[in-house]
Amino acid sequence: MNRQDLQLIAEQTNIKHKQYKHKVCVCCGAGCIFSGSKKILQNLQDTVKAQGKKKDIEVVPTGCMGPCNEGPLIKMMPQNTIYQKVKNEMVPAILQSHIIENKPIEKWLLFKNSKQKPFINSLQAPFFKKQRKIVLKDCGDINPESIEDYIVSGGYKALERVLFEMSSEEVIAQIKQSRLRGRGGAGFPTGIKWETVNKYVADQKYVICNGDEGDPGAFMDRSVLEGNPHRVLEGMIIAGYATGASKGYVYIRGEYPLAIKRFELACQQARKSGLLGLNILGSTFHFEVNIRIGAGAYVCGEETALIASIEGKRGNPRPRPPFPAEVGLWGKPTLINNVETLACVASIITHGGEWYAQIGTPKSGGTKVFSLAGKINYSGLIEVPMGTSLREIVFNIGGGIPGGQKFKAAQTGGPSGGCIPAEHLDVKMDYENLVALGSIMGSGGLIVMDETSDMVDVARFFMEFCVDESCGKCVPCRVGTKVLYDILTKICQRQASMKDLEKLEELALFVKATSLCGLGMAAPNPLLSTLRYFKNEYLNYVNLQAALQPS
Amino acid sequence: MAKVFLMIDGRQVESEPGKTILEICRDNGIDIPTMCHLDGLTDVGACRLCLVEVEGVSKLLPACTTRIQANQVIHTQTDKLKKYRRMITELFFAERNHICAVCVSNGHCELQELGYKVGMNHVHFHYLNQKCDLDASHPWYVMDHNRCILCTRCVRVCAEVEGAHHWNVMNRGVQARVISDFNTPWGESITCTSCSKCVEVCPTGALWSKQTLQGKMEKHPEKIAELMEKRKMSL
Ligand SMILES: Cc1cc2nc3c(=O)[nH]c(=O)nc-3n(C[C@H](O)[C@H](O)[C@H](O)COP(=O)(O)O)c2cc1C
Ligand code: SF4
Ligand code: SF4
Ligand code: FES
Repeated sequence: MNRQDLQLIAEQTNIKHKQYKHKVCVCCGAGCIFSGSKKILQNLQDTVKAQGKKKDIEVVPTGCMGPCNEGPLIKMMPQNTIYQKVKNEMVPAILQSHIIENKPIEKWLLFKNSKQKPFINSLQAPFFKKQRKIVLKDCGDINPESIEDYIVSGGYKALERVLFEMSSEEVIAQIKQSRLRGRGGAGFPTGIKWETVNKYVADQKYVICNGDEGDPGAFMDRSVLEGNPHRVLEGMIIAGYATGASKGYVYIRGEYPLAIKRFELACQQARKSGLLGLNILGSTFHFEVNIRIGAGAYVCGEETALIASIEGKRGNPRPRPPFPAEVGLWGKPTLINNVETLACVASIITHGGEWYAQIGTPKSGGTKVFSLAGKINYSGLIEVPMGTSLREIVFNIGGGIPGGQKFKAAQTGGPSGGCIPAEHLDVKMDYENLVALGSIMGSGGLIVMDETSDMVDVARFFMEFCVDESCGKCVPCRVGTKVLYDILTKICQRQASMKDLEKLEELALFVKATSLCGLGMAAPNPLLSTLRYFKNEYLNYVNLQAALQPS
Repeated sequence: MAKVFLMIDGRQVESEPGKTILEICRDNGIDIPTMCHLDGLTDVGACRLCLVEVEGVSKLLPACTTRIQANQVIHTQTDKLKKYRRMITELFFAERNHICAVCVSNGHCELQELGYKVGMNHVHFHYLNQKCDLDASHPWYVMDHNRCILCTRCVRVCAEVEGAHHWNVMNRGVQARVISDFNTPWGESITCTSCSKCVEVCPTGALWSKQTLQGKMEKHPEKIAELMEKRKMSL
C-alpha cells in the first residue's frame, strides 16, 4: 500500500458506512463485557438480521465509552443517545421505538436514575460535557478490530505526513512544542526524551511501549489498547521514525488478554496494509513491532525492570544512570514511553504541537485520562484537560459522592501516590501541583473516599501492596516496607505507642530516600500523605491504646 | 588522558575519567561501607550502604555504580548518610536470623564488622523472625538461608567468574530466596562445579564449608579480584 491507497481506503470505507441509515455502537470495553455487553451485541445483530434490516442498521462493537458503572451501554448514532444497563429484553423495544418510530425511550437513558438530568444526546450530560477527548477520541465510536474504521476517522494520516513531509527533527520539534509529558507517572517531557534517543548513534535502537499498568484500580492503558490499538501503534511508528529506531516492543500485562489480542490483530492488519514492516507506505522507513506479555509484577512497569524482563531476565530494576535512552534494551539506545503518551502523538502531529500545548497548563500540555473509582456516583474512564480542578472531576463529571456522604479525600497515583484532602479540592490537576500536595499524578488512577474511610487502613492497604510487589533487590524497600507494614498493622490493632509513630515516620523517610527504584522511593507516599493530612486518625489509634493501658 | 578534578568531603581529588565514585574514594583513602559490591564482580547497587550525596542532585547516589563527572562536589560522611547506613545495617539484622554466637562466621563476618563500623548498638526495628531453610545436601558446603542478606555476590561470581550459572534468585520482596538451579537441592545439581567461589565471596555465614566449627569460617573474597586481574593479563 502507498499514500494514495490510504486515501482510497478512507473513501471506500466512508461510502460503506454511509449506506447505513443508523448505527448502534455496543460498548465492548472491559467493564461492559463484564456486565454482559457481548450478549447484547449478539442479540442486536441477530434481531437486526431477523427483522431484515441488515442493510439499514449497522451494529458495531466499540471500545470503552466511559461511564463503566452503568453498563452494558449502547450508543445510537447519529443522535449520540446512550442507553444504560441494557438487557436482552430491551433490545427489540429500543430498535422499534428509537430507530423505527424515532422516539427515544426516556426511562432507559444514561444517567436516568441519578440526580443529573438525562439527555437524548448523552454527550450533553455533565459527565461528558466537561471532558476533552484526544486519546479517547475514537474510543467508543469505532470498531477497534477494524483498521478501515481507524483510517476513515483520520488514522495513519499523521504517520503519512511524518514519513513524507517531515524530518525526524521536525517531528521532535512538534512534540517538544506540545509540552507533552510522560503519562506513565513521572511526567518527563516526551520531546526531550525523543531528542535524547535520536542523538545517540547506534546500529540499532528500540522503541518500547509500556503497557504494564500494574497500579491497583487503574485501567486507562487497558482501555486505550482495547478500544483503539491502532492509535498506539501509529504513535509507536512515529516515535520510531523520530528516534531512528526500527524495532519496537509492546509490553502488555498478561492479565489483559483482550488488549493483547486486539493489539496483535492491529499489528497484523497494519502489516498487511503496508503500514508496518519494510518500506512503510512506500517510503524508505522500516519498522517492526513485537509483543511481549508481562506476568503481572508491578515492578516490571519500571523501565529498567521492564527491559530486563524483555531480555528474558528476572524483572529487577537497576540503578540509573545510565538511562535507557543511552543504554537500554540489549544495551542499545531505547525510547520507552507509556501507552497513553504514545496515543497522544498522532493528534499532535495532525493538529500541531501548539494546538496541543494550549489545551493544558503552561507546564503540561494536553489532556489526561483518569480512571474514576471509589465512593463516586459515576465511576469510569474520563479524559480532561491538564489543570482541571479536582472539584470539577469529582462533583461535576463524577456526579459527587453517593449516599449523601461527605467527600473526604481523593487518592491519586495508586501505591506511589497520596491523598488529597477536602481543603485542596480546588487544586488544578497537573504534575507539579500534585507533588506539592504530597501526591503524584501517577498513571491516572483516582479513587474517591468519603467520611467512612479509615485513612490509616488506606495507608496500610497500599503498603501491603508494596510489600508484595517489592522485587527484593535493595534492602530499604525489601525489609523497610515490611517493617512499615507491620507497624501500621500494630497501629490498626491499637497496639502501638507514640514511639512507634515516630519510628514509622523516620523509617518512611529513610525508605523514600534510599531505595533503588521508583517503587521503593514512592512506597511511603500514601503513608506520609495520610500522616500529613489525617494525623489525628493515627493519634486516635495510638491514644486509645494509651487510654487502655493500666497506669 | 585528561584528568578530572572533583571535591570529596572538602578535599580536592584528581582522577582519570570513567571511574566510579567508590573507586576514586578508595584510591584516596575515603572509607565508604559496602556490601553488595565486590572487586571483580559487576555492581548492582542493591545494598544502598554506599549512598553518597552529590551537590546539585536531589537523589542519593550509590557510589559503586555511579561514574564520576568533572567538578562534582561529593559528600560521603554526612550525619544523614551515617544514620541511613546504620538503619540499613539494622534492617539486615532484623530481616533474618543473625545470632552471631552460634555462627560459623563469628569474628570473620562482613555483616558483623559492618555493625561495628556504623556504630550499631541496638536493632531499633522488630525482628521479622523468618524461618528459612538450610540446604546441607552438597557433600562439602552448606547454604543456610537464615544468614543470607541477598547481596547476590554468590549469584554473580558463579555466573560471571565461574560461568556455571548455578545460583539465582526466586520470589519477590522478603520472600526472595537465593536458589540452586530451579530450586532443587544443591547436592543434586549438575551445574555446580563445586569450585567454592560462592562460599569464598559470601559476606556472612550463609554459605560455608562443612565441618567448620563456630567462629572458624574464614573466607577470601579478595581472591576474585586477583583472579580476574590474572585473567586479564593472560589475555
Ligand atoms: C514501580 C514502577 C511501576 C511503573 N509502572 C508503570 C506502568 O505500569 N506503565 C508505565 O507506562 N509506566 C510505569 N512506570 C514508569 C516507567 O518506569 C517509565 O517512567 C515510563 O514508562 C516512561 O514512559 P513515559 O515517559 O511515557 O511516562 C513505573 C515506574 C515504577 C517505578
Ligand atoms: S526499590 Fe524495591 S522494587 Fe525497587 S529495586 Fe529496590 S527492592 Fe526492588
Ligand atoms: S548466600 Fe551469601 S553471597 Fe549469596 S546472596 Fe546470600 S549473603 Fe550474599
Ligand atoms: S555497595 Fe553500592 S549499593 Fe551495595
